[in-house]
Amino acid sequence: MVMSDMTYPACNADNNRMEPGLGGGQPRQEFCSVLDNGFMAESIAKIRLLAPYVAENCHPGQFVHLRLPNLEAHILRRPFSVYAADARSGEIQLLYQTVGAGTEHLTTVGRGAQIDVIGPIGRGWQPQPSAKRVLLVGGGLGVAPLYMLAASFRTDVEVHLVMGAQSADRLICREPFSTYITEPCLHITTDDGSAGQHCFTTKVVKDLLDEGSFDYIATCGPEAMQKAVAALAAEHKTVCEVSLERRMACGIGACLSCMVETINGPQRACVDGPVFSALEVIW
Amino acid sequence: MIDDNPAIDDTHLVDKDSLTTVDMGVNLGGLLMANPVTVGSGTFGNGKQYAGFYPLNRLGAITTKGVSGVPWAGNDNPRIAETASGMLNSIGLQNPGVESFVADELPWLATCGVPVIVNVSGHNASEYAAVIQRLETESAVSAYELNISCPNIDCGGMGFGTDPQTAYAVTQLCRKSTSRPLIVKLTPNVTDISEIACAVEAAGADAISLINTVLGMAIDVKRRRPVLARKVGGLSGPAIKPIALRMIYEVYQAVKIPLLGMGGICTASDAIEFMLAGATAVAIGTANFTDPMTAPTVVDGIREFCLEQNIPRVSELTGALL
Ligand SMILES: Cc1cc2nc3c(=O)[nH]c(=O)nc-3n(C[C@H](O)[C@H](O)[C@H](O)COP(=O)(O)OP(=O)(O)OC[C@H]3O[C@@H](n4cnc5c(N)ncnc54)[C@H](O)[C@@H]3O)c2cc1C
Ligand SMILES: Cc1cc2nc3c(=O)[nH]c(=O)nc-3n(C[C@H](O)[C@H](O)[C@H](O)COP(=O)(O)O)c2cc1C
Ligand code: FES
Repeated sequence: MVMSDMTYPACNADNNRMEPGLGGGQPRQEFCSVLDNGFMAESIAKIRLLAPYVAENCHPGQFVHLRLPNLEAHILRRPFSVYAADARSGEIQLLYQTVGAGTEHLTTVGRGAQIDVIGPIGRGWQPQPSAKRVLLVGGGLGVAPLYMLAASFRTDVEVHLVMGAQSADRLICREPFSTYITEPCLHITTDDGSAGQHCFTTKVVKDLLDEGSFDYIATCGPEAMQKAVAALAAEHKTVCEVSLERRMACGIGACLSCMVETINGPQRACVDGPVFSALEVIW
Repeated sequence: MIDDNPAIDDTHLVDKDSLTTVDMGVNLGGLLMANPVTVGSGTFGNGKQYAGFYPLNRLGAITTKGVSGVPWAGNDNPRIAETASGMLNSIGLQNPGVESFVADELPWLATCGVPVIVNVSGHNASEYAAVIQRLETESAVSAYELNISCPNIDCGGMGFGTDPQTAYAVTQLCRKSTSRPLIVKLTPNVTDISEIACAVEAAGADAISLINTVLGMAIDVKRRRPVLARKVGGLSGPAIKPIALRMIYEVYQAVKIPLLGMGGICTASDAIEFMLAGATAVAIGTANFTDPMTAPTVVDGIREFCLEQNIPRVSELTGALL
């Protein structure tokens, strides 16, 4: 049997598409140069990558799935939220905490190294365009996916941010956020009281919601915190979105590793999320 | 690494004297594949997610996620854990059932221009057969792969693949339901895989695929708990390649029907090892997660290897261990 003659028609271009993310761009594989990588605080680092496609197409709240360079025994990619993206320079920034082998290794990657990145991935934040007063709540590195969101609001929107950290030295994003969110709207909390209020973010969220109404709340950080914020939002009948973390293998919707239970059935955190409506999630 | 030009003209790559083209086609128990590379069920969704990375007709076939008669919910989180050169999964064959597969996935798969192997699962023999009977009228389906080897469900799955008699019975019942190529997928979690292979061959299987995942476990020492919610799961990836290769080698001696080899294949060289050990075709599974371009890269690498080695037909590699 001669089978080299076997030909198949080319894939239909229209069908040849991935499931939609919200950034207007399908995820692509991009080989990115490291521009800079270094610690910002103990166990918190920032990496800057030249990733023109992600930078141009990324929507606030989306993430990249990054392959750990020169670490063959670690076969799975690692997901990280895009903290900042600049379409003009093609640069993206990620903030990461060293919690295990992969993130520890990532800190050793130097300028000029190449990193294989898939992105931008997932459903990002979807505030109602009519929202006039919004509240962002970030615990720890949960502030990372909120930065592009903060930057995306029109100037007539009143944007509040509750930023929580263990201690003052770990509030690494305070400075950049202050471009978009100024003093009376910036609420800092620390677990040890070394900066801002000596409490958890949820205490401040409760106070703010008791004082006045918001049109939209976005939260990211420890799941227990997000759950508590979601409950407060529900109590005050305020639209709320959460950003959930799950262990991911493919990161593109194929393997069903990353399921989130919702009132609409099981959903994939990677492509149906990571941002979900708080009311949909079954906590 | 992304190759925008799938139709590489190999004639420019070699001198006049040596080979200029390779016949990459293989016949997997009646399923004609334009090249010997497909994907591992459950690692590729139903293809859509990968179609943004390359045209899927660069594959020899697409193998779908496991399809059952009724929707299956799958297991609790966490469902995966990374282990040294591998991963554990306990997805549990979550799928929306055959009706939804026919309505939502098949029409799209039919446009991909590549044979479709539907991976079939069930809790008992008649459930497997019922899925096949439902799909018999669907022209987009080219072949079936019976998953009698999933370690992640409590009832059915691997239970069928660890006992020669039940493996025989489920294969025979499915055989009666179709004349399309019937592939039976075996589990490595047995003492003698050849025995099971002989049973499904005798029951009328056209081909055997192996291996499904190796039962394994990971523990979080600080929490003193298993990492996976289900406690145990299936190990896949490079860590299991030597086991898979040994099993292909053994089964190749034991049966006459062709083999679809898988287990940790990441490179063309890995794939060629499987073919030399006896595989007619190979599947890329977990490596899709590491690099979505793995499968087409392996196809190109096999072709280049054949050109270099003056092998005119890729099928000559099968069982060609010296
Ligand atoms: C959508 C999304 C966005 C994220 N954004 C950020 C971010 O901006 N900054 C940041 O520091 N971290 C972020 N994380 C968490 C980050 O992916 C993990 O901290 C990282 O994968 C840990 O890798 P490791 O090798 O150091 O840890 P290990 O514990 O050695 O990793 C073992 C395995 O578990 C997975 N894993 C471990 N912790 C997590 C986790 N929290 N979430 C998902 N998978 C995990 C790893 O990916 C790996 O597969 C995000 C996670 C998701 C799902
Ligand atoms: C996340 C995941 C899901 C899987 N789902 C299925 C499935 O639905 N049906 C099946 O027959 N095999 C399933 N498998 C097994 C693979 O198809 C393959 O046999 C196995 O992973 C070994 O190959 P690999 O090491 O290349 O991944 C799954 C494997 C993984 C990692
Ligand atoms: S990580 Fe594979 S489906 Fe989400």
